[in-house]
Amino acid sequence: MTGLAALGQVALREISERVRSKAYLITTGLTVLIVLGLIVAPTIFGSDTTESTVGTVGEGNEVIISTAVDLGNANDEPDQPPSVAIETVQFEDREQAETALENGEVDAVLVDGNEVIVESVGGFNGNSLVSGLQQAAGTVQIQEIVEEEGQQATDIIEILTSDPLETTTLTAGDPEEGDSRTLIAYFGLLLLYLAVLLYGTWILTGVTEEKSNRVVEVLLSSVRPWQILGGKILGIGSLALFQLLGTIAIALVALRVTGAFDLPPIEIGAVLNLLLWFVVGFLIFAVLFGAAGSLVSRTEEANTIAMPMSMAAVVGFFVSISALNDPDGVVATIFTFVPITAPFVVPVRTALQSIPAWQYILALVICVASIGVLTVLAGRIYAGGLLRYGGRVGVREAWQSAAE
Amino acid sequence: MLQVRDLHKSFGDIHALDGCSFEVAPGGMLGFLGPNGAGKTTAMRTIFRLLRPDSGSVTWNGDPIDPDDLLRFGYMPEQRGLYPKMRAGDQLTYLGRLHGMSKRDARESAEKWLNRFGLGGRVGDPVESLSHGNQQRVQLAAALVHDPELLVLDEPFSGLDPIAVETMSDVLREQAAAGKAVVFSSHQLDLVEDLCEEVAIINAGHVVVRGNVERLKDSAPIRHLELETEGDPSELLEFLDGVQSTHMDGERLTAIISADTDVRGFIAHAQRAGKVRHFAYTTPSLSDLFLEAVR
Repeated sequence: MTGLAALGQVALREISERVRSKAYLITTGLTVLIVLGLIVAPTIFGSDTTESTVGTVGEGNEVIISTAVDLGNANDEPDQPPSVAIETVQFEDREQAETALENGEVDAVLVDGNEVIVESVGGFNGNSLVSGLQQAAGTVQIQEIVEEEGQQATDIIEILTSDPLETTTLTAGDPEEGDSRTLIAYFGLLLLYLAVLLYGTWILTGVTEEKSNRVVEVLLSSVRPWQILGGKILGIGSLALFQLLGTIAIALVALRVTGAFDLPPIEIGAVLNLLLWFVVGFLIFAVLFGAAGSLVSRTEEANTIAMPMSMAAVVGFFVSISALNDPDGVVATIFTFVPITAPFVVPVRTALQSIPAWQYILALVICVASIGVLTVLAGRIYAGGLLRYGGRVGVREAWQSAAE
Repeated sequence: MLQVRDLHKSFGDIHALDGCSFEVAPGGMLGFLGPNGAGKTTAMRTIFRLLRPDSGSVTWNGDPIDPDDLLRFGYMPEQRGLYPKMRAGDQLTYLGRLHGMSKRDARESAEKWLNRFGLGGRVGDPVESLSHGNQQRVQLAAALVHDPELLVLDEPFSGLDPIAVETMSDVLREQAAAGKAVVFSSHQLDLVEDLCEEVAIINAGHVVVRGNVERLKDSAPIRHLELETEGDPSELLEFLDGVQSTHMDGERLTAIISADTDVRGFIAHAQRAGKVRHFAYTTPSLSDLFLEAVR
């Protein structure tokens, strides 16, 4: 049997046993439910409509209120609930209206189309309501002036709510594509971070479990350590990728169906780039987690030994967040060439189009070479650690006791 | 032919193996004996390249053992280990496949062995749901599933009930008869005496006695003597030369004496002292040899 065939067998066992396990089914189900919930719930229960009640006294108020509603909703999507809704209550005189305002029955009072009364200055909703009404009143005045010139009111609203100046950016590509790349990079960053912590821990505990239930001695009597470690990483890695891609696919479908958020068009190149770095990043951490798992005998000890890797992932995550703000900075550049942080930083810099080609290639070479070197080093630590029981095995001890 | 030659292995200050040599030929069954901590497990792990000896060699058919050889060996470690949640049949199939079997062959063999051990109805049950003894049967099946040429079993009989011991003994006899080389360690010496023609006794990492059981007994410098009389047999001991150890088992005296002791005079004394109900003078048992070797 060739080495890779045994590795494949180990990977297949990981997949078939884990897919069948309750833990995997439950985490997959929960992830899908949470993602769906986050997307679907706001469109069912929530509404983004800001509702206000305005009291009116005298004449000339209706046109201002209806203009305020039109202005507030001018940028709405046609099939969405309106952003602004204003209910009006007519009062006989100013005194009644002021009483209602004090009692909180109305948010503001319009008098004769030329005065607005509010309870106090300040308050988030009150101020935006007042400014909306002010803007509307101004619009009505312009409208009256212009109507004498023969213009239509709807044109005025369009002029007032659109950006009159064309937006130009200095970098190449249209801004919407840039948004898409940033979004994908940010999303990918988050996924890599979560995957490293979640699935890295699976690899770690999987290795420790084989050690603690002693099955590893049976395995090692016929299979080389690197085949077990490699198969485990391949198997769990495939499951991780499957679970993540599945979740993303469900999320995208749900987003399209509900229209909960606007998605910029997704660029295939950016997705492939992200996938590449996801795999590279996952492999680096997986090898480290696997080696660490072989150093402890009981699953309770596994969390402690995971600490250095978890910290490294946190560092990578935060460095890349800072790279989002300063993609050309010294910090971002330095961490581009550190194998455990590069998978976090490079996708961000690529998305922001601020990484020179040579840096990208060098980072990739460093990472791939690191995977190779780490696999050899970790494989030896793994081989040395596996058959040593009783507490935690030191890295040096594992290294020295490795059979080959 | 498995040949283990002059293995030395130290863990820090502990000399786990200090001149360990033995061999087992196809069709042969070797009992590998020794007190706890004598180095049996270390020696077995060395065969499977789980440990690298400081010096000495392990060869299979004359060549150092390579990874392909390992696929034709079956191993039952002292620390039993299976995946607790994996089904018994799947587990054995998996291990068969790791040894290079096709999926179908591995499955057939897995079911064959489970049937053989009376676990045919438990193929789909997770190993953790089986009793301790049944888990041990699965563990043995794991060593056998790929039809290995060499079987190395570390304490295969420990924790088994008499019926399972019988099944296990039968399987080992069959395997040897089918031309497999079998090595196993055990503390149940009468069982070893029953099964094995050859033994190797290891003490403090060093193989002190090895060879054919009958020849070892014949050439041993000691003999085993039993005497039961109407009077107290221990009073007769003064007429016996070369006594190395004695103990009373009820009314029966058991003694280990030098092989060159002439017991005829002693028998005559015993007969004069009273009626002799039981007298036996034999080559030593394996147990006698073992105690003699490791003291």
